[in-house]
Amino acid sequence: MASLIACPHCGPRPKEEFTVRGDAGIIRPAPDAGEDAWYAYVYLRDNPRGRHKEHWHHTSGCRRWLIVERDTVTHAIYGVSDAAGAPSQGETA
Amino acid sequence: MVDFALVHRPALAGAKSGSFGAPATGNRITLAALPEGHVLQVLASKGSASLEELIRQIADGNKTAVRAYGPGQWFVVGDATLSPAEIAGKAALLSGKASIAEQSHGRIRIGMSGGSVEAALAKGTAVDLDRTKFPVGRSAMTLIGHISALITRTGDESFEVVVLRGFAESLWDELIQMSLEFGVDARATV
Amino acid sequence: MSSFRLPKGGSIDRAKPLDFTFDGKPMQGFAGDTLASALLANGRQLVGRSFKYHRPRGILTAGAAEPNALVTIGEGGRTEANTRATLVELYSGLAAKSQNRWPSVDFDLGAVNSLLSPFLGAGFYYKTFMWPVAFWEKVYEPIIRKAAGLGRATYEPDPDSYEKWWAHCDLLVIGAGPAGLAAALTAGRAGARVILADEGFEPGGSLLSETALVGDRTAIDLLAHTLAELASLSNVRIFSRTTVFGWYDGNVFGALESVQKNTAVVDPNRPVERIWRIAAKHAILASGAEERPLVFGGNDTPGVMMAGAMRSYLNRQAIAPGKKTVIFTNDESGYRTATDLETAGLEVAAIVDARASGASSWSGRAPVFPGALVQDATGSKALTSVTVLKGGTPVTINADALAMSGGWSPIIHLACHRGAKPVWSDAKAAFLAPETLDGLTIAGSAAGVGSLEACLADGAGKATSALQALGFSSAAPAFALAADAATVAKPLWYVRGAKGKAFVDYQNDVHLKDLGLAVSEGYGHVELAKRYTTNGMATDQGKLSNINAIGILAEARKVSPADVGTTTFRPFYTPLSFGALTGASKGKHFQPVRKSPLHDWAKKNGAVFVETGLWYRSSWFPKTGETTWRESVDREVLNVRKNAGICDVSTLGKIEVFGKDAAEFLNRVYCNAFLKLPVGKARYGLMLREDGMIYDDGTTSRLSENHFFMTTTTAYAAGVMNHLEFCAQALWPDLDVQFASSTDQWAQIAVAGPKSRMILQTLVDEDISDAAFPFLGAKEVSLCGGTLTGRLFRISFSGELAYELAVPAGYGEAIADAIMEAGKPHGICPYGVEALGVMRIEKGHVTHSEINGTVIPSDLGFAKMVSATKPDFIGKAMLAREGMVADDRLSLVGVKPLDPATTFKTGSHILSDCATPSLENDQGYVSSSCYSPNLGSTIGLALVKHGPKRHGEHVTVWNDLKNEYTKAVLCSPVFFDPENGKLHG
Repeated sequence: MASLIACPHCGPRPKEEFTVRGDAGIIRPAPDAGEDAWYAYVYLRDNPRGRHKEHWHHTSGCRRWLIVERDTVTHAIYGVSDAAGAPSQGETA
Repeated sequence: MVDFALVHRPALAGAKSGSFGAPATGNRITLAALPEGHVLQVLASKGSASLEELIRQIADGNKTAVRAYGPGQWFVVGDATLSPAEIAGKAALLSGKASIAEQSHGRIRIGMSGGSVEAALAKGTAVDLDRTKFPVGRSAMTLIGHISALITRTGDESFEVVVLRGFAESLWDELIQMSLEFGVDARATV
Repeated sequence: MSSFRLPKGGSIDRAKPLDFTFDGKPMQGFAGDTLASALLANGRQLVGRSFKYHRPRGILTAGAAEPNALVTIGEGGRTEANTRATLVELYSGLAAKSQNRWPSVDFDLGAVNSLLSPFLGAGFYYKTFMWPVAFWEKVYEPIIRKAAGLGRATYEPDPDSYEKWWAHCDLLVIGAGPAGLAAALTAGRAGARVILADEGFEPGGSLLSETALVGDRTAIDLLAHTLAELASLSNVRIFSRTTVFGWYDGNVFGALESVQKNTAVVDPNRPVERIWRIAAKHAILASGAEERPLVFGGNDTPGVMMAGAMRSYLNRQAIAPGKKTVIFTNDESGYRTATDLETAGLEVAAIVDARASGASSWSGRAPVFPGALVQDATGSKALTSVTVLKGGTPVTINADALAMSGGWSPIIHLACHRGAKPVWSDAKAAFLAPETLDGLTIAGSAAGVGSLEACLADGAGKATSALQALGFSSAAPAFALAADAATVAKPLWYVRGAKGKAFVDYQNDVHLKDLGLAVSEGYGHVELAKRYTTNGMATDQGKLSNINAIGILAEARKVSPADVGTTTFRPFYTPLSFGALTGASKGKHFQPVRKSPLHDWAKKNGAVFVETGLWYRSSWFPKTGETTWRESVDREVLNVRKNAGICDVSTLGKIEVFGKDAAEFLNRVYCNAFLKLPVGKARYGLMLREDGMIYDDGTTSRLSENHFFMTTTTAYAAGVMNHLEFCAQALWPDLDVQFASSTDQWAQIAVAGPKSRMILQTLVDEDISDAAFPFLGAKEVSLCGGTLTGRLFRISFSGELAYELAVPAGYGEAIADAIMEAGKPHGICPYGVEALGVMRIEKGHVTHSEINGTVIPSDLGFAKMVSATKPDFIGKAMLAREGMVADDRLSLVGVKPLDPATTFKTGSHILSDCATPSLENDQGYVSSSCYSPNLGSTIGLALVKHGPKRHGEHVTVWNDLKNEYTKAVLCSPVFFDPENGKLHG
């Protein structure tokens, strides 16, 4: 029906304005990090009960990628920040 | 070289004009296609310090000409059409600090005003448009129904909506629909 | 037929009579009536038949919990089934019909179920109709569904409109009864933005039917003054006829406003209903309390009514429930009904008080029987007598009305919508909402507060606390503190020894014995009992029944109601119409239309359009005399290859890429190299997903050192933009790169064919000869003698000598016209996406038919494009996986029928020659196919195991849907001009 995400740039907006990508905790490995690291990055996802950080894109607003920390049980939102503040790329080549 | 007249086709050329909805006169909405002058999308380069002052210099002086809609992102709008050379001049002024994407044809401006204008827009957007929270000059990129658009308050009872050209006619119809209960006078030609 | 309208009294407007019909019979009520009160005024107590046993049912409540008085309102497309007559505001011309009866509500053949009732207990259907299994869906269920059930929906379209609306406030007050009004007034005075929502057609809640004084003034006077003050405050909005139905994340509340459900003449400029999405900083839930029915024999006989409802009808609409009323109460509130009945001059035959102590004070005429119980109510279609168990002896009292009050249950549904569990309170003999909820406070009788003065004080006090927390430091309660004088009795869950059926859930016909059966058969858990008996599963969601069912289960299991617990409260609090949920998104407002700047140009040239996503693209351009689409498409293809054609490609995604690191960025998101792309050049790029599969393709041009122009496919334009932004913002925020979507800025026109250069040169001021502007050239050009600046690209999807010209969108039509004009002597024609598709298949060019999420570059013959030297790019690491280098991967080939007279369809499977269809024999599938007028045959692109090594091999193309087998041969995917002579021409 409705829920609001407090975009740090735009203020509270309904979820319809956003696109969810998924786990923001995973770090893109270095190109030579090896099969296991890449396999984990591309395919393995935790499905935590409780606090979870996710990438959300404010698609119909400021078009910034955000990190939304929310509770997967209660849907309570603990914080929303710009994704650029916590880059998801590990060591670059 | 072929001989022809370079005719400009307004985005809302096929949109409906006229008076629609409630016959009441008290709080009618006015919907107007605005001149397809200039719309410049300004994108700050990485690490640029506050650019507000510089960007104001490329605007036409109108107090709601510069519209911030996200970190390092602005639209600069005005009624005058600008030549590629004029735009290049503005780009030179921002050189190294920001880039300009020409959107004068890509974005369409629609004026919306009247005593019920906030109420009508609230049928589309979740942004709190209350005057105290959303004063003159404030902008918000948001969904109006299913269409993303930039809303700017231009006066106590007037807003401007900037939308992708391809969606302009659809949004125009939506805005009329949202205004029916107040009565709406729609003017699709400038 | 014994209820009637009193000659005076009530707040109805007797000067405004309203005509309506019930089952076609003309009746009259007054402004201020609900349909229920108007039916009662007309002596109509029997208004429906029950769900399972078809028992006669009367009006039980005066509000949202009504389980019996469900009627069908309106006619034709406005038919609305299962409407609660208690909530329908009477209007002139209203047409209501009873439900679940045949031939009439007074004489219903389905009532035979009642005679069979010993066999129709809980679980009857499950136990009886088990075998044979196949019979359930085909035989049993249709018959049961026909016999049971409620109103019928209409098949006609709804002529009315609906909408959704956002509202914002500091404090949302839900319920305009005493506590809600006190909260709203407190907040309004403090200057907060307040929304006061109430489901009734006039605010006031219990004050509207209250006869007691509040301090020194009447309740009605208090209400009038409060409403007047609220109306004078511009920061307070009062939403009447508005049911708040759900509490959602972010403190957003959903509410349904009935805008024009109270009129037969609908104003088309306004919706009939609207959904409010209210974003509130805080909310006060003052939804009141629900009176509990008492469970005794025949408690569903028409004439039996909730005591509070009877009082409401009496005081608001001057309805006498009958000539002689018995009160059965476990609570003080039964006495208030008795007092008001006697004041109105009506006889109260007896007050049967289940409590041994009886009333604290009673000065009326009626005899009081303390410690007594009503065991049975008797009467077929109307109540005739009541059997009272008094001191262990049954006594029969003649009566035509019976008021019952089992105590009060706070209405806490909304408070529990976000996962909170109700808590049983022995002191209040009720389930209460937890006190610590974020963003919501419960006040008044919804919080278990009893007396009127205490509710006013509670609402005011809780609003004050909430406002102070929001920063309104000057907030002060609008009503003084008051002690709660109400007492709470031990609950009476049911009366033992009843002869008749004692109903717990009226709407689903669940009675006492069903619950007993559930416990004895092992379904005593509250969630199991609900499903086994269907208690609480009707449209009223157990508003009246759940609490008694829990009490009965608790007694049967010999535990406390706290141990039984409740079932889960979920939105919506009351049923919503599908119309309201759909809102304005129907018909042409279902989804927006996205129009190319060349839409009208295409239209005037006769285009047939096809929907691609939200876009309308020109598909083909039929000429006079052409009777099939193929005729037009074949002509367009042949003409482009022979002369020239013009095609609207404006819908391709276009992205301006800026920044000092733009080249480095593109180098990381494409699998091929972009770092050294020269200014003035375009390059075809492949974008991979991180798993190595191709994500999208397109050309990207370098317009200046730090400015690139990227094109994407139409379908993936939005996705690519999101992807680029993710990479730039979340992966590599240290890069200086920015994006602007310029899809709508440019009208982009493909001009293709051997004569395209000749035609374009007449418009373009610069030299575009092959030497000056070779294949993959990309630059800004001056047009028509400097009148206009555009962008010209020498790229080709058709395989012809071709260009794409981008001009500012507003001039697209003028330029397209000019190209047509210039091309006329050269035989130019407009062509659509169908012809484009044929030409790209002839050339073996791929689209998302091939780039379908399972292919990597080498599958499509692009292995050499993948950079071996770049240190990193999206998808690089995973491309090295074992499965990605396996040599039996499905790879791109061409396929054509051996006999050109035969054909095949996209999606067909490739089998080795003459092999039988099976998973083992499956060699791949046809990803694209068309008729090629240049080859005079069907041709296809296919993804086949070892594809490139099998050119020349005969295969069978198998279409399982049509059971067709076509002999075919695999070949190079480039069917036409494999040397690219035309392209470079």
